Amino acid sequence: MAASLTSRCAMLGATIRRLSIGGCPSLEVRGIHSTAICYKNRAARIRVGKGDRPLNYEQALHPHQIGHRKGWLSAHTSNLHEEEGAADRTVEDVFIRRFIFGTFHGCLANELVIKRRGNIIVICALMLQKVQPQKFYFLIGYTETLLSHFYKCPVKMEIQTLEKKAVYKYV
Amino acid sequence: MSASTMCTTALSFTRTNGLCLGNYALSLLSRTATYSTALSTNNGKGFPNRPIRGPRRPKRESGAPRTEKMLENQDWTAVYPSAAPFKPSAVPLPVRMGYPVNRGVPAEKKGNLELMKIPNFLHLTPAAIQKHCDALKPFCTEWPASLDSDAACEEHFPIQLESKEFVSAGSSLRNPKTRVVTLKVKLSSLNLDEHARKKMVKLVDDRYCKETDTLTIVTESCPLRQQNYDYAMYLLTVLYHESWKTEVWEAEKTRADMEEYHWEDSRSQKNVLDTLRRMRVTSEGEEDPGAVREELLGQPEVQEYRESVTRLKNEGETEETMLQYREAVKKLLNV
Repeated sequence: MAASLTSRCAMLGATIRRLSIGGCPSLEVRGIHSTAICYKNRAARIRVGKGDRPLNYEQALHPHQIGHRKGWLSAHTSNLHEEEGAADRTVEDVFIRRFIFGTFHGCLANELVIKRRGNIIVICALMLQKVQPQKFYFLIGYTETLLSHFYKCPVKMEIQTLEKKAVYKYV
Repeated sequence: MSASTMCTTALSFTRTNGLCLGNYALSLLSRTATYSTALSTNNGKGFPNRPIRGPRRPKRESGAPRTEKMLENQDWTAVYPSAAPFKPSAVPLPVRMGYPVNRGVPAEKKGNLELMKIPNFLHLTPAAIQKHCDALKPFCTEWPASLDSDAACEEHFPIQLESKEFVSAGSSLRNPKTRVVTLKVKLSSLNLDEHARKKMVKLVDDRYCKETDTLTIVTESCPLRQQNYDYAMYLLTVLYHESWKTEVWEAEKTRADMEEYHWEDSRSQKNVLDTLRRMRVTSEGEEDPGAVREELLGQPEVQEYRESVTRLKNEGETEETMLQYREAVKKLLNV
């Protein structure tokens, strides 16, 4: 059913295009969206539920509160006027977040805060005390060394551990 | 098996030597013996036995935060020696941050991500800055006492160089805009005579500002700042030497190339002389035209006219200059 629908749509599009080339200026051709839906007004929002789901401050405040009630998770100068490298910094940040999420699996209490001071990258993280301190030390050293070699600049981690996650409200 | 032999040998050792190791040592030996026996046994398959899983070893409690052990007169520069994110266990202030829930208060500092996001200046207390200054002082020298005013600085250092440094955060600290070098020099401080000055102004064209008498050379064609600086100094040297030289073709300078207006041999002079001669011709007869010319030019009215016209052409039309011209013309024509 779906296959026939798409094929029918494609045929319809093709015929419309042929018609428009033939000289019908009023007919417009529309493409087919093939990505997943991602509405801007539903991004990073956890919807209200029964009241048993704990949220931290970061999750509870929605993205339009950034700059008003929330700060920025990533700090660098590339978004200033006439500064270069904004895209590179963003890609680095995304990679670092995924990397840390995987390396310290289950231990992250909150989002990462990534600060850049000159060419060093400082990763500030809040962790839960799920593994032994020695394991934490190893993972921190491993992360710092690997990321430093990967990005060719000093990478430092500042970790704080909590017993349990800080809850802001329940939804 | 090995443990039991170890025990007997230990006991025999103590008895034979007559030394009393004491209960502690014996218990230590026995404890180590029992511990080793527990772990050394193997399963048939070759996997070692894990320790008992039932009641787990109690989790080690985290120690008291550093804030509890802080004295009032501690050295804060030891707590925050350099820029670091906010550490709630190291900052003894009851700070709260965050938008409160309904009928609540802002969240406490423990586990507060908002406090970690913002930059803090805990490493820049006055005491810390004083320490930095004290450390840097041996490398500094006094400002020379004789350079006490701008005029003195300009007199001794007439060439001013400007270059920019850029600070940014990224994987590379290089910025291509740092290579630009600006060289500023006042032409009055250079040793130029009239011809050299005019030639210099003509050579540099736009780079000379007449109001401030400053020549500005901006170099950015080389990749390094040092190279651009050398190039700027080279340009200045070449300009200076070239403007002192007089080329053969400079003799062909026409009236249109002149920078200022000269009344001598101008149309205005010719017109004035013609007018005055015609005014005179009625009274005298034939005379030597050269002498007449000299006499006419020597008159004060003509001189005044000359001044006013030169001023008008060089400085432009203002109230003053127009009035002066009017007065001169009136006097010349006896009106």
